[in-house]
Amino acid sequence: MITKDTIDSFIEKIPPSSKILKVTLSLLNEGELIKAAQIAKEDLALSAYLKNLVNKPIYGFKNKVDDVSQIFGILGVAKSQQAVYSYMISLLSPKKWSLFTLNQHSFHHLQDTLSLNWQKILHHLEITDKEIQSAITLLPASIIVAEALFNEKQEDVALLRSASDIDLNTILLRLCGVDLFDICAMIARKWEMHTTIVTIIQAASGAKPADEEKMNLLGKWMHLLLFFTLSQTEFIEAGLNDFIDFHIEYVDDIYEEFAQLMEIQ
Amino acid sequence: MRAVVKNGLGIFTPQGFLDGNSGNSFLSIEDVESTAKLNVEMVLVSLKKVVFFNRNGLDSFVKMFTKVRQKQHITVGFCDYDYKKFTAILKFYKDDINFSLFKSQEVASLFTATYKNQNKNILMYNSDKSQSAAMAIELHDNGHNPIIAQTQEEFNDKAKNKESYDVIIKDTYLGQMGQSVATRVTGNAIIYTVSSFLDAEIGNTFNIAYHNNSLNVGFRLFIFDAYKVVSMNIHALNFFSKLASSGAEYNATICFVGLSFDKTPVSFKETLEDSGIMFFEQMNDILHNKELLKELGASSASAVANKRVINKGIVTELPNFIEATVNTIEMMTNSQASKNAVKVDQIAISGKLEDKIASSIGFYGDIDGMIILVFPLDIAKKASQLLIGEETEDIELVLDTLAELVNIVGGKIKSLLFEAGINVNITLPRTYENVNSLLDVVGDKKGVQVDLSFDNDKFLFFLTR
Repeated sequence: MITKDTIDSFIEKIPPSSKILKVTLSLLNEGELIKAAQIAKEDLALSAYLKNLVNKPIYGFKNKVDDVSQIFGILGVAKSQQAVYSYMISLLSPKKWSLFTLNQHSFHHLQDTLSLNWQKILHHLEITDKEIQSAITLLPASIIVAEALFNEKQEDVALLRSASDIDLNTILLRLCGVDLFDICAMIARKWEMHTTIVTIIQAASGAKPADEEKMNLLGKWMHLLLFFTLSQTEFIEAGLNDFIDFHIEYVDDIYEEFAQLMEIQ
Repeated sequence: MRAVVKNGLGIFTPQGFLDGNSGNSFLSIEDVESTAKLNVEMVLVSLKKVVFFNRNGLDSFVKMFTKVRQKQHITVGFCDYDYKKFTAILKFYKDDINFSLFKSQEVASLFTATYKNQNKNILMYNSDKSQSAAMAIELHDNGHNPIIAQTQEEFNDKAKNKESYDVIIKDTYLGQMGQSVATRVTGNAIIYTVSSFLDAEIGNTFNIAYHNNSLNVGFRLFIFDAYKVVSMNIHALNFFSKLASSGAEYNATICFVGLSFDKTPVSFKETLEDSGIMFFEQMNDILHNKELLKELGASSASAVANKRVINKGIVTELPNFIEATVNTIEMMTNSQASKNAVKVDQIAISGKLEDKIASSIGFYGDIDGMIILVFPLDIAKKASQLLIGEETEDIELVLDTLAELVNIVGGKIKSLLFEAGINVNITLPRTYENVNSLLDVVGDKKGVQVDLSFDNDKFLFFLTR
């Protein structure tokens, strides 16, 4: 159905990050917001993405923000880095979705919802590390990978899943020995993302706890956040709710805290 | 959302957070109804992957349950929860629970007639005496041995000795149980389970289309498991008489097992006997009597007077049947499958018969017939690995998975034929732990045999009627 060759070919087709993106991220990493903005402006698609992003109602700015320097200034280093990474991930998303009922708008909405709630969580946990803030941007890549690998196998997947309670992540792991999150990690390495991001994403799968306690804890919060988000009507109807398994026992010890933070009654 | 259908249960598994908004998105009435139509005895929503729910969230499911229960007469409810979730549901619905609650899917299976692993020792306790009695009766009627603790303390004490019981039931509630006629296949016989008072409603709860198509695909013995029947009226009597008459042209036999005539007029028995229906006290009186089975046409399809032969309609669609099989095997093994030889003849299984297992599935509708797959045991294990997830020596598990595999093949055939403008439905899959029992069924029927292989592992496809 899906072989290691299919995965290799998928990874190979992913373009390396452009020079502009590399320099922008490098300058952001050094805290050089103005210089980073000047470089970022050269990529018109990135500029448009950033403008569109910060002017969404979800960000709550009263006046329209048009200038990339202004955007980076408002967002600060960590959130700017996060926004650039989100842009990179969005480049991977297909023009037309078929396995999941998504479009560009709803995928961006998913990215934004995850990012904002991740900020809320990190604020609650008093974590300011910018790599950890950016880790959330890689999570939706798992959905893109699932779409890319399984979109032509929908009927097979449906038949398989009518006979057995098996998620896409497990199907892929049993067929090829790697899962969706391993593939996300491959993308992250190709784009030279920080290893912290890779570690947290692997733990956020819920199937592979991290060795380091802090990373594991962040993995739990991210796993629960993912399913909190995928329980929204829009994403259930998009077919995202069961694309991977929710490991309820993994998040058991943080659930009450999460529920309080998200004001779940 | 699509349900996983297994052992007579249709299970939906939503994940995450369940509230009034998300409830209706997880599941639609069409999802529940289409699952109910797959000959399941129960449609349940598993809460094992739900971390949060509220009353509004559950309500959206309960409304669907009520509609489906009224229409399809099946058991509906929730399963796979912990004590906290169980008490929350009881608190939400207090005295207004018209659905069932099963602590796990295993517990739910015990209350179905489809479940084949009967005779379980089951420890149970329920402080509500009527619940306790209802559960004990259901379990007993389904062939189990319920041990009822009288107090919570007694239950706790006994439960410490886990080895003494196959299953320990707690945190379970029986709402209105289903009244549909459950169906299971044993050997070459089809067993229908009927219960309580049989009246004109049997015409609605009995799946006559399934019965007719079972006749078409070669089943000749139909047993009504009637241990739980209290009585029947004239409408039910007429129904069964007609059923027996319509089966006569196929040389089919209908039997009743365990039917008591305490509250049913004995004259009814005579009328039914005149229609050719036979009565037995115990199920084993039939199933363990090989001579009788042979006489009743259940041990060998060769007993059928008018043998149905493979026809042009089926042969024309042979590429679809093979494609569905090859695609499924390729999907399950992630390797290339190929066709080696095709012939039209009686089934010919080479090599050691004892090392092989088989499965079959029937189809009926615009065309009808039966597909049989015969695998060497090792190859069957390999083909089952995607669903099982690990290597196993458990033959029961391999047979169950093989049934799922052949069910997937059936589903694929159904959709391929549909694309070709041919409508068919599929029967329940059957498995054969040894090839001899398969040969008993197939007998000297002719069909199309295709030798297939993947990764140099050979298996056999046989299409017959």
